[in-house]
Amino acid sequence: MYRWFDERLSLSRFNKKFLNKAFAVHHSYFIGEIALFAFITLVITGIFLTFNYEPSIRTVKVAGKAVSAAYASVLYIDSLPFGRVLRSVHHWSASIMIAAAFIHLLRVLVSGAYKRPREINWFIGLLLLVVAIVTSFTGYSLPFDAFSATATSIGYGIGTSIPYVGEWISQIIFGGEFPTLHSIPRVYALHVLWFPLILMAILGMHMLVMVKQKHTQPNYARKVAPGRILGVPLMPQQAYMSTVLFLLYLAVVFFIAGAYIAHPIEVYGPPTASTPAVKPDWYLIWVYGILQIIPGDLKIPLPFGAVMNSEFIGSILVPGILGLAAVLLPFLDTRSTKMRYMELPTKHPVRTGVTFALLAFLITTTLAGWKQELGLSAGQLWFIILGSSLLTYLVVYYAIIFFWGRPSKEDAGAV
Amino acid sequence: MSKKTDTTRRAIVGATIGVGLGIGTLSLLAPVASLRPKKETSPETEPPKEGDVFTFAIGDNAGKEITFDDLPLEGPAVLAYPKDPKTGVIKSGEKNNLVLLLKLKPEELGEEVKKYAAAGTVCYSAICTHLGCTVGEWDAAKKDFLCPCHKGLFDPRKGAEVIAGPPPRPLPALPISAAGDKPVVAGGFTSPPGVLSGTDTHGGSCTV
Repeated sequence: MYRWFDERLSLSRFNKKFLNKAFAVHHSYFIGEIALFAFITLVITGIFLTFNYEPSIRTVKVAGKAVSAAYASVLYIDSLPFGRVLRSVHHWSASIMIAAAFIHLLRVLVSGAYKRPREINWFIGLLLLVVAIVTSFTGYSLPFDAFSATATSIGYGIGTSIPYVGEWISQIIFGGEFPTLHSIPRVYALHVLWFPLILMAILGMHMLVMVKQKHTQPNYARKVAPGRILGVPLMPQQAYMSTVLFLLYLAVVFFIAGAYIAHPIEVYGPPTASTPAVKPDWYLIWVYGILQIIPGDLKIPLPFGAVMNSEFIGSILVPGILGLAAVLLPFLDTRSTKMRYMELPTKHPVRTGVTFALLAFLITTTLAGWKQELGLSAGQLWFIILGSSLLTYLVVYYAIIFFWGRPSKEDAGAV
Repeated sequence: MSKKTDTTRRAIVGATIGVGLGIGTLSLLAPVASLRPKKETSPETEPPKEGDVFTFAIGDNAGKEITFDDLPLEGPAVLAYPKDPKTGVIKSGEKNNLVLLLKLKPEELGEEVKKYAAAGTVCYSAICTHLGCTVGEWDAAKKDFLCPCHKGLFDPRKGAEVIAGPPPRPLPALPISAAGDKPVVAGGFTSPPGVLSGTDTHGGSCTV
């Protein structure tokens, strides 16, 4: 049988080249894989959800109560055997995918792996993270409960704040002034078809580029076999490790999702004219925090009567500047030689310090999401955010210098 | 083949492709424009107009007409939709028609606010000018409107001006008058209700 296929498709040539491909081994290299496993889980649980979900907000009667068809179908999903758990796994996997992708990004950042020749994969990875967050946000509205309708209408408002084209973009994405009868079908199509297709395409590119350019090597490889690619073959060792990790991932996520059911829609109920006090999922709370403490009268005028208002600045411009800084990074932080081995964070105190400062910024702006509960003013929170970011940078920078010494010139490269 | 004809051939191929792509892109503008849904209007989506009464928007009394006695003094405010008394249509089809009715002590109202108020009762758009949430909460200690989403505070005694939080402008007021025991609409919103974005947000409830 194998020979029959081999004669026609030259499988052995492919096997020799591809299945023997050496995969570098380091514990931090599995984080990106976890993001991939989460994506696969999202697709599989998503298929189950699409088979039972009804993308419409036309009113139907459930037990004598008028609710939207979308809401009713989610109640139906929850009533199926294991349905509630599968929906919860879908929600949890979205969180895990974004978390894993972000930690993967931090790993690449502190080990300098974005440098020549891997800039392209750094850009693709950034795009992946952004599209993953946008995709999960489009999933918010689908159960159409009070929480999801509120969160999505805030997203609609943020979209319209884009100067010149905001109104158009928001209305095209959300099917008019959210919520209309067109909203859910449209967001549904984006969530289950277009964004997953885009994600698959850029995920495939991310991995093809990685295979083509070869992974960075862990530092032990320099000692074991200097100048050569060190790793285990894709088949069977790497595939075996990945399979075990995937099964482990499934076991853990099913346990968490079963024990902590995500987004129980009965708690929020169908949307009403009133708005519940909601916070977005954890990965957007930092934006939510910034939106609460940014002065409302802050605006940057643009030509032709348009302005960048505080909503745009807080929720699009600030994250956009962080993204732009990430895009520029491989051009600013370069090295003369081709990157082969991971760089040590302790030999790059500036970069490591900035990474920790970024984390401090994200954590403290997330904290600002609890502004009312904390009873702090916007000014105090800004002081905490900027102060702790700066302090974190200085502490990390001097701690590295103190414990590991000043990096030598050849170690440091640029920073 | 001479070099000259070769470059001419390239130029022609290039121009053909360029013109084709250009016209193709231009012809896409119409379908892209129709991606934006049509705004469907019905009696339910019409803005409030003079003479409209108010009905409860939520709760057990939803749909019932509101009298001054239904409004608790000094809050919390009541969420309401306008209703055309002639046709009996409740205008709940448009989000920006949702308003807050609040009864206050008449002596506490600012001079500007008194023009829009009737019997100490004020009426404001309930849609937050920040990102379009319903300003449905009542800060009982400060006696201010509170938006639950990003904690914007509005002072109903001073034209719903922003006391704290991120909203860019006050909530537009809806002038009301008294018709018997009921508050009725006495004119349109003093400024556009809801989220005004991407354009300059000048004006507020006190400027018109």
